Amino acid sequence: MDYSKQIQDIAAKLFADGKIDVFVGYRMNGFDDNQIPVVITDPKEVSTLVFTEKSVFNLSNYLKADHTRNKRAGLVVKGCDSRSLNLLLTESQVKRDRLYIIGIACEGVVDDKGQKMQNCIECIVPDAVVYDEMLGNPQGRKDYIVNADIKALAEKGLVERREYFEEIFENCIRCNACRHSCPLCYCAKCCIDQETASLYNGSNTASSAFHALMTWSLHLAGRCVDCRNCEKACPSHLPLHLLHKQNEKVIFENFQNHLAGVEEGERGAFYKYSLKDPDDFIM
Amino acid sequence: MSFSTFVTDKAGLQKMYEAIISKHETYAPVEKFGKYDYKKVSSLKECDPDSPIAETMSVKPLFFPRSSKIMKYEATSAGTSILETDQDPLTAQRVVLGVKHCDARGLQVLEAVNKWDYIDSDFLKRRENTVIFSARCDKAGTHCFCTSLDYDLENLDALDIAVVNGAEGKIYLQTRTERGETFLKEKLEKSTMYNVQSTNDESEMKKQYVAFAASFRLKMDYKDINEKMAKRFDSPAFEEASRNCVSCNTCAFICPTCHCFKISDEKIKDTGVRYKSYDSCNNVYFTLEAGGHNPRPAKYRRWRQRSMHKFVYYKERFGVNLCVGCGHCAISCPVNISIFDVVNHIASTPVGS
Repeated sequence: MDYSKQIQDIAAKLFADGKIDVFVGYRMNGFDDNQIPVVITDPKEVSTLVFTEKSVFNLSNYLKADHTRNKRAGLVVKGCDSRSLNLLLTESQVKRDRLYIIGIACEGVVDDKGQKMQNCIECIVPDAVVYDEMLGNPQGRKDYIVNADIKALAEKGLVERREYFEEIFENCIRCNACRHSCPLCYCAKCCIDQETASLYNGSNTASSAFHALMTWSLHLAGRCVDCRNCEKACPSHLPLHLLHKQNEKVIFENFQNHLAGVEEGERGAFYKYSLKDPDDFIM
Repeated sequence: MSFSTFVTDKAGLQKMYEAIISKHETYAPVEKFGKYDYKKVSSLKECDPDSPIAETMSVKPLFFPRSSKIMKYEATSAGTSILETDQDPLTAQRVVLGVKHCDARGLQVLEAVNKWDYIDSDFLKRRENTVIFSARCDKAGTHCFCTSLDYDLENLDALDIAVVNGAEGKIYLQTRTERGETFLKEKLEKSTMYNVQSTNDESEMKKQYVAFAASFRLKMDYKDINEKMAKRFDSPAFEEASRNCVSCNTCAFICPTCHCFKISDEKIKDTGVRYKSYDSCNNVYFTLEAGGHNPRPAKYRRWRQRSMHKFVYYKERFGVNLCVGCGHCAISCPVNISIFDVVNHIASTPVGS
């Protein structure tokens, strides 16, 4: 999977035609085969753009930043990235006519060790769902799988499950990198940062980390697209996907096979109302 | 006071470590999810003093905790009173095993700010009551540049006892401070010094250092950087360099020298607890004033603050760089930004352009 040349050509043409002000892509870091996301405003830098299976970070995260927010931007999205972009569009965070989207029919990306990422193995939507131009051969929708971790979690009782998560969160250092690297966390003031809410105080105590991460995951329930930006950002390597995948499973089973950001214009599970919604539980 | 050098082998060192763990309060890198963090240990099996540098958190939280309780208070309509203040958590001597040299240097650098203006007695007392056993790396990591900065890594005295690997499985122990010397000579019982002999031969330690110093990918001229950065406060390169930063703050939270904190209250009804916890200048709320004004609203200004604090302001005030070259920020950054690349890039741009 190497679309570097095509992306360079498209970006160069977009700049030449005056269709975009910035382009968000990836470049090599200059010493090994890892890549750095890059926000280009100078057409001369277009030649540094690359796209391979090392292009891991979800670039739709950059659309909430100042230097792209009110500009016409071009960007590259994989399947999962396009789902989060779709949600940003639905939630009126970005305007579609300001974007030029290069969609990738993604064959999966690899981690630092060269292993295919777990979320790519389980990927349901490998092709970009929103795009102006598609690169690669579309593979179509795959089946939804509940992975072994989540199956194991389902076998645990409620108390056991709480203890399990408490043990995981013990190593949380409350840097909030998970939140900042999440493309769908765009609140101008996050509830975790409220000075007045004593539940989410800024202290780094175990209870504070537990509440902050649980609240965060619930705000992303029915919206998380499993891009794993949060896990990549976590300095303690916490398996944060467990929270999101568990939510995903509950929502898939209870909300008519809902998958976040797959259909254009479709809202998150908790943001729309259907008569078919279950009412026998409160989340 | 003169310092001494001992030679032993892996079995001897392990026996010594086990004796230390059984007699003293000991902290060492403990693995969880592939990342090592310093925790209290009760046996050598739980921890790995030779943990890889790229996957080891800083030792700083043992001296400056990620969150510490300052006091408990009561605030009613009748008035406010302090119920209890935080008691000094450390009175007995404790030992930390496997501290990387750059990380120990971080503590030394922090001493300057903790002794200045307001004296942070907790930090200083914790350092005074801690014996640090180091683990010198044999090979530089991808993002390491500790040898390029303003300290003598080979004879670093920020740690108490240096542990250096020699040839043929030999391991050298060298005391670097009075604390380390007394600990090895007096506190440790002779029987636990199994297979540990005194030596005067330091040639193998020198050889190890030369080989280690040759393994660095990154080299920096810190004097040049200090000088050039000081002149580039208005450089537009900061805006360019910070564009792909996602302001996640991880770099500051895992940095061995970052020391910004915030004060937060956890209050239920009339009683509350006041905490001091880590914060980062990359955080948009960090400089937000009560009236709503924010002097650093743009990301590049916060980025500039962080890099200038590391290489200019701290140097001007205390004479040392606030960066120790450990590379942890680059390793943990979700978008692989390296402070080494950024400051070198900014220093290379022309002034006033």
